[in-house]
Amino acid sequence: MPGITKNDLIIRIGGEGGEGVISVGDFITQACAHAGLDVYTFKTFPAEIKGGYAMYQIRTGTGRLYNQGDTFDILCAFNGDAYNMNLASLKPGTAFVYDSPGDFTPDIPPGVFAYPIPMTQTSKEMNNPRAKNMVAMGALSVLFNIPVESLREVLTAKFSRKGEDVVKGNLAALERGRELAKALGKTDPWTLGTPKSKQDVVVMSGNNAIGLGALIAGLDFFAAYPITPATEVAIYVAKHLPKRGGTLIQAEDEIASISQVLGASYAGKKAMTSTSGPGLSLMSEMLGMAFMSELPCVVVDVQRGGPSTGLPTKHEQSDLFLAIHGGHGDCGRIVLSVESIHDCINLTVLAFNLAEKYQCPVLLLSDGSLAFSTQNVPYPNPEDYQVVERKRWNGEGEYHRYVLTEDGISPMVDPGTPGGAHIATGLEHNEIGLPSYTSANHEAMQAKRFRKLKGVVNDVPPTEVDGDGTADFGVIAWGSTIGVVREALQRLRAKGYKVKGFYPKLLNPLPVEQFEAFGATCKRLLLPEVNFQGQLAHFVRAETSLRPESYTICGGMPFTPEMIVNKVREVLA
Amino acid sequence: MNAPIHPQMHLHKVELKSKDYKSDATSFWCAGCGHYGVLTGLLRALSEIGVDPNYLVNVSGIGCSSRLPYFVNSYKMHTLHGRAGPVATGVQLARPDLSVVVTGGDGDGFSIGGGHMPHMARKNVNMIYILMDNHVYGLTKGQCSPTSRQVMKTTTTPYGGLEEPLDPVLYMLTYGATYVGQAFAGNVKLASQLIREGMEHKGFAFINLLSQCPSFNDIDTAQTFKEACDLVPDGHDTSDLGAAMNAVNAAKQAGRILTGLLYKTERPTLDQRMAELVDRVGGHKDYDLRKIIDLARP
Repeated sequence: MPGITKNDLIIRIGGEGGEGVISVGDFITQACAHAGLDVYTFKTFPAEIKGGYAMYQIRTGTGRLYNQGDTFDILCAFNGDAYNMNLASLKPGTAFVYDSPGDFTPDIPPGVFAYPIPMTQTSKEMNNPRAKNMVAMGALSVLFNIPVESLREVLTAKFSRKGEDVVKGNLAALERGRELAKALGKTDPWTLGTPKSKQDVVVMSGNNAIGLGALIAGLDFFAAYPITPATEVAIYVAKHLPKRGGTLIQAEDEIASISQVLGASYAGKKAMTSTSGPGLSLMSEMLGMAFMSELPCVVVDVQRGGPSTGLPTKHEQSDLFLAIHGGHGDCGRIVLSVESIHDCINLTVLAFNLAEKYQCPVLLLSDGSLAFSTQNVPYPNPEDYQVVERKRWNGEGEYHRYVLTEDGISPMVDPGTPGGAHIATGLEHNEIGLPSYTSANHEAMQAKRFRKLKGVVNDVPPTEVDGDGTADFGVIAWGSTIGVVREALQRLRAKGYKVKGFYPKLLNPLPVEQFEAFGATCKRLLLPEVNFQGQLAHFVRAETSLRPESYTICGGMPFTPEMIVNKVREVLA
Repeated sequence: MNAPIHPQMHLHKVELKSKDYKSDATSFWCAGCGHYGVLTGLLRALSEIGVDPNYLVNVSGIGCSSRLPYFVNSYKMHTLHGRAGPVATGVQLARPDLSVVVTGGDGDGFSIGGGHMPHMARKNVNMIYILMDNHVYGLTKGQCSPTSRQVMKTTTTPYGGLEEPLDPVLYMLTYGATYVGQAFAGNVKLASQLIREGMEHKGFAFINLLSQCPSFNDIDTAQTFKEACDLVPDGHDTSDLGAAMNAVNAAKQAGRILTGLLYKTERPTLDQRMAELVDRVGGHKDYDLRKIIDLARP
């Protein structure tokens, strides 16, 4: 049966951690992106440090990819665990590539296209047992038209550091895998399309992209405490910030990291920390101080399953309440959320720009699925980014740190500046910074601090509206759920549904007018999000006249496009 | 941000009198409070060194003692309960050219902020931490603190305390502070001398100043502190950590308080090590970002 070229394919590779599952996934991802295809990956690591089931899923194709997809078209199983874990998803029409003879003998479900490949045996015959995954990769490349020239190129580049013998050994195993697959002959319909042209891209995970965004924004100081799934932001910064003249500091806890960030900010530097929900909880008090004493800072929260210690490695969008309202007293802050890896770069730059301009904490919400997902992103040219510096005192007249201004923004001054000495305090203070508890002063100062936030909406790109005119159904989404909704709406439109999407990235202050304008064009609204309480739906109902229907899941996994399609059809039926 | 550091770069010199360092903020402490002695000692030390107030950052947490920065002419931060240390660490690492002074109380530093103390010391952050130790919570009007003596009755220990007090000096010696001194705050001469030397010391300096609270602690008075203090004997080897700990402990067992410079050593500061690391990787502010971005090309 000849292959049918599909716009995109989803390949899932599973096996024992340490068997090379992750590296095969990385090679295929790199090769596809190298050849000019879009990539969107999703992986799960075993909870154990060594061993356990590891899975790497690559979605790749010739069109734009916005999410990890519904389920796989192709399963490649290195061992019996991978087979058992995925048996339920081996639906008629899927292709199944597996190690045979291996540690298991699968019952091939009806309609599944099976390709037994002697991965372990071949690598042993070649006296290169570690190249089992290369045999598998060779077979996959033949069967599904994975760009093999690019595969050879990335493989050679990767192994060249280990010497020519290692390169040769792996290339030989790759070729052997190709021969084995050719000998079997293709029976399934899945074939990857050929990319039109090579693109100038980078391939990054969400966590690394946030680190890069910070460097582009002019990061000077970074303090953090290790926490899943945010640690990789710090790891990336630890590696690259020294090249730019800075150094990461690992603090003794999250309270210390945000405290150090505020100290550095007071000292005139662009400072940031990254954490996950539990760490953000600990930072709440200091974020109040940052708002009160008007110190710029950027805090990244890579959300995970909660509450409490919760599900550290699982995906959830459940820190919105904490991000917007965490902390005591009337406390303001700016909250942004990212949809994609591209956003992880761009919105981190924006987060710094807003922090500097508005002299307040800016929280950037990412999530567990974006943390480790890799995607191709157009090459980010540093000079294409506008980088904002805080407004500094011009040295004229007497300096009053918290002078009341029309837009609420008062110039800052770096220590070392003659005439600029002042105090930054968490106490309510007057224009000079000295404690003042009079009602008139507290009201004036709260009004000043919140007045600043009114300008924010104008500094953030307008909320994207997906679709024109009026719709029977509008879907509002935030974070990585947006990418899922994009594809679901494409599918619904193809079936004749009149649907629109609304994708806010600025979640506090909420762009109320934009929400109202969107709501006015839709007969009904749905708001899918991965948390139990419907957190964004809560804010939308509180701050706008819209009454979106909440669609929540909290099973530790992202939505799939199919789930959104089915929900919309069910509601409209 | 990490320019190579001149040994004394954190002390920009000027010629000012002690009173020039005093702000005109109205005092907030009770009459007879030991903290006045700390303030006088600090102002005198600043003047003796000639610290440029524009390059001085005084950081505090919460408590009576943490109000001290309001009375000092300098850049300053009045932060949260227990957090002065890490905030000051951020200031110092971001701007190693600044002179950083932390002032705070025993509850602030060793109860709520106790988790931070080891790390400033072991990291050898180049700053001075002045503990204003009055063995009581004053701002909340008289509760026991981690240094309160067990016999003391407070509003939360009306029948007397249940816990052993800790000794800040012993802790800081163990944690790896590179300069440790102790004095009665009323002994302004010794206090200011220790503060001056601690500020000139390159590394983390910890000075414990015993400061009476006339309002909420009637068993540790100026008189009892003064009478309990012994100066380190001649021949005390300030470079011997074990000897310092033994001497402090022996005095304690005898119901005495050992004062003066207890221990001093030299070790690279954290900002120095950070600057060395940047040098090692050839880092600089204008390093081409594209070289980093290119690493992510497929």
